[in-house]
Amino acid sequence: MAGSALRRLMAEYKQLTLNPPEGIIAGPINEENFFEWEALITGPEGTCFEGGVFPAKLIFPCDYPLSPPKMQFTCEMFHPNIYSDGRVCISILHAPGDDPMGYESSAERWSPVQSVEKILLSVVSMLAEPNDESGANVDAAKMWRENREEFNKIADRIVRKTLGIYIRE
Amino acid sequence: MGDESENDPAIGTGNQDELIMQQQRQIEREISETTALVGDLEPIVSLNNEYSNDNVYLEKIKDLSSKYKHIRRTRPDGNCFFRAFTYAMIEKMLDNANELEQFFKLIETSKADLLTLGFPEFTVDDFYETFMDVLKRVRDIKGVNDAKKELHSLFNEQGYSDYMVVYLRLLTSGHLQRDQEFYSCFIEGGRTVSDFCHQEVEPMYKESDHIHIMAACAALNTGVRVVYMDRGSSKSNIEHDLPEGTTPSVHLLYRPGHYDILYL
Repeated sequence: MAGSALRRLMAEYKQLTLNPPEGIIAGPINEENFFEWEALITGPEGTCFEGGVFPAKLIFPCDYPLSPPKMQFTCEMFHPNIYSDGRVCISILHAPGDDPMGYESSAERWSPVQSVEKILLSVVSMLAEPNDESGANVDAAKMWRENREEFNKIADRIVRKTLGIYIRE
Repeated sequence: MGDESENDPAIGTGNQDELIMQQQRQIEREISETTALVGDLEPIVSLNNEYSNDNVYLEKIKDLSSKYKHIRRTRPDGNCFFRAFTYAMIEKMLDNANELEQFFKLIETSKADLLTLGFPEFTVDDFYETFMDVLKRVRDIKGVNDAKKELHSLFNEQGYSDYMVVYLRLLTSGHLQRDQEFYSCFIEGGRTVSDFCHQEVEPMYKESDHIHIMAACAALNTGVRVVYMDRGSSKSNIEHDLPEGTTPSVHLLYRPGHYDILYL
């Protein structure tokens, strides 16, 4: 029922505007269409993504919040839980039973009482602590495990790129 | 997604998983959409059509029809227990204004209890309001038959019907969490009660087990009789009253994986 989805998305937008979680901005790209949002996520402090500002879009289904939205970074990303086209792959974006990655049974799942805010906070934790068991990006997962220094270098380049700082290799 | 990503082997595997999931969803949807969310009353013998060559089931249908007159089918979408239970309960209370009024009060105060447990208000509100709205609409109709018709039509509107289901899921979750000491011993796999609620109770389309039924009954202060019909060797169907010892207000037929409503 699109009516309820819209009402809920408006309530969530209001909530996020009144009480924005630290380091996160999110809202509809265009107020004519509440089913497509843009989010800006700041890389968590003390991690290799610190200082970056990462843009992503969220697409909501018409039966939201019964079903979860989809989320995709629109900047270059290199991370075990993000596909190379930017799609985010974490448990809260899936209902239980939808198990493309064989998430741990204790992992947080989508339900109608979750929210955009919860998703974005989970994404921040995911940036800070990649789950290298669920490899949406196998190369990134392998490098995260075996060559952290190289991983950090790539992350650093991506951070600079999001800030518009161009570094010659 | 551009052409480029389709050639990328790393994305290919990811997409394949999602495609399989999508296809599975599609199949489920096609199966489920041939059944109304909540169907019309049908005679018990209508079950014979589903088991025309199965003597074990035919025998059990005979047993069932000696006790019950009608069955009302619900859509097999993982929400069938919650949908069947809520529907059958409200339908029954439409015959008894007192009970309906009590139920109305119970639901009216239930939101505050959920908020006390830490459910965020802006995510609970829509479901609560829809539940209250449906109760008000059927309560305010004078004739019982017209009220039942309205209930049937609201329960077949996906928007109302699914929101009713979500709210009962939340009440069930709330009850489990409030009484977690008691329920924790029924949960397998070393999960906490709140993990269990987040994974097995609150999400839509997750099927219900005994523990869901017990908690849903306790949350709504009522009892249900579940008649189990399967290929087991006994001639008659096995009946369970949940919670034990209560007088059931709702009768449900359970066949492996699915609940429908029964009428005496």
